[in-house]
Amino acid sequence: MRHDGLVLILLWRELVAGLRAMRRRDLAWIALGGGGLLAYAIADIVIALHAAAPKLRDDQLLWMLGLPITFAALGCLAGNAMSRLCLSRAFAPFLKALPLASAERRRMAGVGTFALGLPFTLMIAMSAGFACAVIGKPLAQAWGLGAAILFALGFGTAALWRLRRPRLVLDEAASQVTQVGRSWLRRLDRARPSWLSSWAWKLPAGHIRPSWKLAAAGLLLALAAIVGAWASLAGHSAGPAAVAGLAGGILVFMLGLRCQPLGSPVLRTAPIGFTHVWLRLVQLPLQLSLAFFLLPAGAALAAEPSAWSVPVASGLWLLVLNGAYAVFGAYFLNAPFVAMLSFAGALAYASYETLEYGRTVLIGLAALVFFLWHRTRQRYRNG
Amino acid sequence: MAEVLTVEALSAGYRGRIVVRGIDLSLRRGDILGLLGANGSGKSTLIRAVTGQIPLIGGSVAIDGIELAAAPERAKAGFGLAIEPHELPATLSGRQYIELVASIRGCAPDDLPTDDLPGGDLLERLDLRRWIDRPIAEYSLGTRAKIAIVAALLGRPPLLIFDETLNGLDPVAAWEVKRVIAALCASGRHAAIVSTHVVEAVPALCNRAVLMADGSLSQSWDAAQLAEAGRVPGAFEDSVMQALRMRAAA
Repeated sequence: MRHDGLVLILLWRELVAGLRAMRRRDLAWIALGGGGLLAYAIADIVIALHAAAPKLRDDQLLWMLGLPITFAALGCLAGNAMSRLCLSRAFAPFLKALPLASAERRRMAGVGTFALGLPFTLMIAMSAGFACAVIGKPLAQAWGLGAAILFALGFGTAALWRLRRPRLVLDEAASQVTQVGRSWLRRLDRARPSWLSSWAWKLPAGHIRPSWKLAAAGLLLALAAIVGAWASLAGHSAGPAAVAGLAGGILVFMLGLRCQPLGSPVLRTAPIGFTHVWLRLVQLPLQLSLAFFLLPAGAALAAEPSAWSVPVASGLWLLVLNGAYAVFGAYFLNAPFVAMLSFAGALAYASYETLEYGRTVLIGLAALVFFLWHRTRQRYRNG
Repeated sequence: MAEVLTVEALSAGYRGRIVVRGIDLSLRRGDILGLLGANGSGKSTLIRAVTGQIPLIGGSVAIDGIELAAAPERAKAGFGLAIEPHELPATLSGRQYIELVASIRGCAPDDLPTDDLPGGDLLERLDLRRWIDRPIAEYSLGTRAKIAIVAALLGRPPLLIFDETLNGLDPVAAWEVKRVIAALCASGRHAAIVSTHVVEAVPALCNRAVLMADGSLSQSWDAAQLAEAGRVPGAFEDSVMQALRMRAAA
């Protein structure tokens, strides 16, 4: 069909327009700085793989279960994200008036999704094969191929599931105008400036729309808090509940923080400063995060009263991590998923380097957070 | 009378590229400035620079005597900008948006300059009452423009800025908004900038006008010239078109 490549053309044009809109200095930073960092990371990974090669080669659990599940899960995530991206372009509002049937749009999205999936699959095959060759695993190429097949299976399954139900994407857009449920936030969201959280969370007229996603997330988090608390109380140890409180607390904060109002001229042309708006946007997710933290922290304290410093330290770390993520969330204001990935990546990388170079690496992380905060503030003030 | 807006040698643009340059402009209370120009002439860039949405490359902007660069929050309290309709927070209802803007400006949601308006209630005059509790996402372009105009008037800022806001309004609403702008500026407490492509509306509404071309002010009309042009039907449009054609030919 002649329209089949339309989604890919749209995405290509967006990419080119995005690159053209960037300053050459920024592009150079990304290309040179990012390239340098990538080369360093690859070298570091190769050295680490070399060092752990004998152990990795013979770890049956890793080869039979760990890696297959990881590649399939990665495939699912990538397939879901790519199909959503392509569906949103195939069903874009400006294409509404064109005489394209829903099946045709789905096919356009499908072609785009699988075309985007191909380079990802190749990359997985090459990376897995290369890693196997580095540790001296026999049949490295076959392992690479196997990893690519698992990734492709996960990718294809998730993409097909999503492409057969484009309604899921369309319903999200329609929910902006549908008032369902009650305005539960009315009291909480009236702090100055009022209605900012409703705006950030895209709640239609401040009404929370009940959904299976919201219920499932709430259930899982509650379960995690209860299991953590139970583990601590059963073992008379503060550790498990404190860790559950910290991990769940930061997860609640990351899922709750939305900062897209920071990019709106409604605020940027109003007599209100960046810090004020930022703190207001952080306020409600922080309250939710601390509310989640209280149950496991209380259980940790009850399980081992003498180790009171464990839940206290856990609470302080929760505040620090929430503060750091709030900066990432504000910087990537229109892409919360990218903010979460970047934050998780930065934390993982800082933790890894801390093992090698000690805690001085944390100064680098703090500098990154400060730099992002400064750039976000500048963008708010100057566009 | 003190100047509400003072723009001196302003240059501004995007990512280091200058789009408007050498702009000198001042407005006093009572002034209604018509900002005219072809597409891409720099009208919106000038308004973005004056409202602090893009950084100044050169020059200065002072609103009600406060330098925008030195004290942006205080300076921004001095103007009300009617946000472009597509930039309004679509999920909030009209009432919630008004409450949001009012809480930012530190005023009550009903703190509108109704004393200066003949006929009172602005929401009634703009036929907004039946929409006010619906999400903005459900509004038509014109209804969005109306809510943006009401929000711009909240807290009675001395400078009112309308960037092509009149374009999407129905005839009744456009007429009402023009009456509101005229009445507010006639009270001597406000000044307004009206950027528009509706050239014929300018002599009737504005007491000053400037034409932008290639990022600078190419021609201006004072109150007497506008009044003179307004007396002969089509005279003002002719002079604007002539200026635009001369500019295009140059």
